[in-house]
Amino acid sequence: MMQHFPVLAVMTLFLASFLVVLFGSRNKVARGVIAMTASTVPLVLMICLIKPVMIDGQIISYWMGNWEPVSGWAIGIGYEIDALSLFFGLIVALTIFLSCFYSLKYMSRDDTLEKYYVLFLMLSGAVLGLVLTGDLFNMFIMIEILTFAAVALTAFRNNEDGPLEAAFKYLVIGSIGSSLTLTGVILLYEQLHTLNMAQIGALLQKTGMNPTTAFAFGLLLTGFSIKAFIVPVHPVAADAYTSAPTSASMAMASMVNKTGVYGIIRLLYIIFMTMGLSSVQNLIVTIGTITMFLGVTMALNQHDFKRLLAFHSISQIGYVITAIGLGTALGLSGGLYHAMNHTLFKGMLFLCAGAVLYAAGTTNLDKLGGLAKKMPQTCIIFLIGAFSISGLPPFNGFVSKWLIYQATYEKAAQSGNFGFAIVTVIEVVVSVMTLASFIKVSQSVFFGELPPELENVKEAPLSMRIPMWIMAVLCIITGVLPGQVYSLLIQPAVNAVLSPVKYINAMMGSGYAEQFISAADAAPDKSVVLAGYWQPINWLILFVVLLAAFTIVALLGKNSRGAQSHSAEVTDGKYATFYSGEKSEYSMVGGSDMFWGLKYNLRHYFGFIGEMHSGVVNDYALWAVLIAAVYLVFSFVCLL
Amino acid sequence: MTFNPMYLFYILVFPGFLFTSFAGLLLAGIDRKVLAHMQKRIGPPITQPFYDFMKLMGKETIVPDAAPKAVFLGAPVIGLISLFVTALLIPFAGLTPFYGIADIIVLIYLLTIPAVAIIIGGAASGSPFSGVGISREMVTIVSYELPLILVLLTVGKKAGMALTGGMTFSLIDISAYQAQNGMMITHWAMIPAAIAFLLIIPGEVGTQPFDVAEAETEICEGTMAEYSGAPLALFELSHSIKMFIMTALFTALFLQGWTTGIVALDAVIDLAICILLTIITMTLPHASAARLKVEWLFRFYWQIVAGLALISLILVWLGL
Repeated sequence: MMQHFPVLAVMTLFLASFLVVLFGSRNKVARGVIAMTASTVPLVLMICLIKPVMIDGQIISYWMGNWEPVSGWAIGIGYEIDALSLFFGLIVALTIFLSCFYSLKYMSRDDTLEKYYVLFLMLSGAVLGLVLTGDLFNMFIMIEILTFAAVALTAFRNNEDGPLEAAFKYLVIGSIGSSLTLTGVILLYEQLHTLNMAQIGALLQKTGMNPTTAFAFGLLLTGFSIKAFIVPVHPVAADAYTSAPTSASMAMASMVNKTGVYGIIRLLYIIFMTMGLSSVQNLIVTIGTITMFLGVTMALNQHDFKRLLAFHSISQIGYVITAIGLGTALGLSGGLYHAMNHTLFKGMLFLCAGAVLYAAGTTNLDKLGGLAKKMPQTCIIFLIGAFSISGLPPFNGFVSKWLIYQATYEKAAQSGNFGFAIVTVIEVVVSVMTLASFIKVSQSVFFGELPPELENVKEAPLSMRIPMWIMAVLCIITGVLPGQVYSLLIQPAVNAVLSPVKYINAMMGSGYAEQFISAADAAPDKSVVLAGYWQPINWLILFVVLLAAFTIVALLGKNSRGAQSHSAEVTDGKYATFYSGEKSEYSMVGGSDMFWGLKYNLRHYFGFIGEMHSGVVNDYALWAVLIAAVYLVFSFVCLL
Repeated sequence: MTFNPMYLFYILVFPGFLFTSFAGLLLAGIDRKVLAHMQKRIGPPITQPFYDFMKLMGKETIVPDAAPKAVFLGAPVIGLISLFVTALLIPFAGLTPFYGIADIIVLIYLLTIPAVAIIIGGAASGSPFSGVGISREMVTIVSYELPLILVLLTVGKKAGMALTGGMTFSLIDISAYQAQNGMMITHWAMIPAAIAFLLIIPGEVGTQPFDVAEAETEICEGTMAEYSGAPLALFELSHSIKMFIMTALFTALFLQGWTTGIVALDAVIDLAICILLTIITMTLPHASAARLKVEWLFRFYWQIVAGLALISLILVWLGL
């Protein structure tokens, strides 16, 4: 029974997308019921798989139509769910569920909603299928479906300015990525006569790298990099996340870019097993570092809530890529942990942006302000998200960033490469800049002065707040209980990544991989040694003890003086904000002017990156070709 | 962590709640007294910060109409308690009751929480002065964080290289290294890093000439503009405790590795070192320099201080 779960999860989503059109185009209730059921089923199925895959360490293999391998050759499409696939499957299923839940209310003001749900369920099914499949060509099909569903979702509100342009850019760049991926798949098939990833992995070890497979490596890496929106193909993501309806932006930021990350991990660790080479490590870490730095500095420049979040998404994916590029168990742990955290906090922040958009009608940072009193819950959730993404303890972003810093610096110490030490420093600086730009958002959206036109803003409806709260609670849990989360989810996934032999054998029959891979290669170092301590529970106990002591002192010391009640109706100058004279002469610091001291010193850099992001799709296509060229040259120079 | 009744003593009395508050306010008092003498004034008594604190605690607390009450009043409390917890994690006088909880990376992030509390509290007050203040505070954080992480990586590499051949972030390992090889500062390659750290202290604490975020003469105390009464007292206390924590952290990183055998004596000597460091790093610059512009502050930290720290880092990586 168990082995049917993954394929059922994917099928439910695709099936529901057709049912939504059939039954949901007129009937609102039917539409909602179908969409919600279809998005809940995969989550339940994935959770059911935690026990066998994560805890018992099984690998589930499933051959479509029972086309099992014939005399050692895979001929059918196979699904293979190891802990890595399930890890990403859980992230994806959770995102689908929450995004769908949120969209019920959030999208209610739009029309032609059945089209939204068709596209959304298509996107969901494709992403889930991509992380669960064991077949390279099937993976490519899923990439195609998800790209076109994502493009159409980006253009969904096409009565507005941005969406069509953003969708066009996404279409162009996405197509470049897809066609390069397809070419890569074709080349591998031509060389190895199989499309099964496990078998490709085994056979590649036998044949070694030849020019064709090296070429395919470069092409596939480019394809997945475009899916992960790393620099320099990131401007597409910024436009798409900004223009899409927020529930779709949340889905894209939380799960679509994870497919790229997943693809890169599969490609480097399992299929090509090139991660042991220091040249590959250097390449991936360099790309990741550039991505995280450029993403965060672009975010500092933004005036739009969603666009700022989009650039942070890019920056955080940079962290993940850097960490997995280190090629150590600790790095992988940090990277996967951060990927999960990114799903939680970035999804949550997008939902907050959606709530603000829903309530106030704009996400322009220069026009918002003072919403904390109007939307207190959204404000608190936003602060949790902001602290998580900036890596403040005890939230989850801190745990993963802390792991990544350690992994990077340890790598530096082990390999003696000073470059990794510099990368560590950049990681910390990027983290502080992330904090800075979220301070900017909190000041210009939730605090500061309330513009008169926002006087009547109301808190987001309950059905939008529930998904936000779920994510907020998960952010805190994954931050406070890192040890449990680590051993339940991260550790099995890391072990799966570092055990290609098990992956191959689960699919092709035991003993298959050993024909091609020597046992020494098959057992890389999986031990994780921490260079420091972080025990949030104890820290929290200390915090609570002190808080209690503090409260007691405060209660004992409270005297009758000073405790005055103040009703909001009475206007008393004492409770007004201090302007020192004429109020009209003062204005709040606009969102864009927040960090003058920083921006003035780095004005040449900011000017340069501002010019680089010209918004012309020709430039962006050129960059995509450029990164492909870099990867290809790299594969030929370093892998042969 | 199994429960031990001593923990409550550690948390509440020494080196936690009471001692940290006392030491912080004492340092603030000495700072004011010495500064006054440098400026040929008599100055307030050393106990003045204690009086100020008591006085503010008794004053009326005004919450502006524009401010969300929970955030406005919660921010100073969370900031202060984070500082107390941070103080518990720093080895002081060879005593580290809670060393297993955190390392130096955690420490710098914990030290960010009070700064963020100030920012969030200031932002919540809705004052335009606070708006300017928080933007400056944030630039200050970005400024000193780069040299700070460079210094910590240098220390971590230096200690880890000798102990395990790799690196370490653990404060215990750093203490162990100093116990074996003498104080960190006696290694000449570490001297630029130590100087860089000394220059970071006033920036982190926010004393003149690095107090751009408060700058009472320009922007009415910036983030503090709307605060009064008990919350303001807590912020003032946090400010004083930061003096103690930063100087104690310097002591832990660079001046450990010795002991007289008596904890009380060690504590007194450590406190004396903290006082000395306060005078060197905070009083002296305060008396001799005017407030920097924001963009100068940023450039100062990213060029000069980070440069010093980087020199040390490279020297240590070269094995010196």
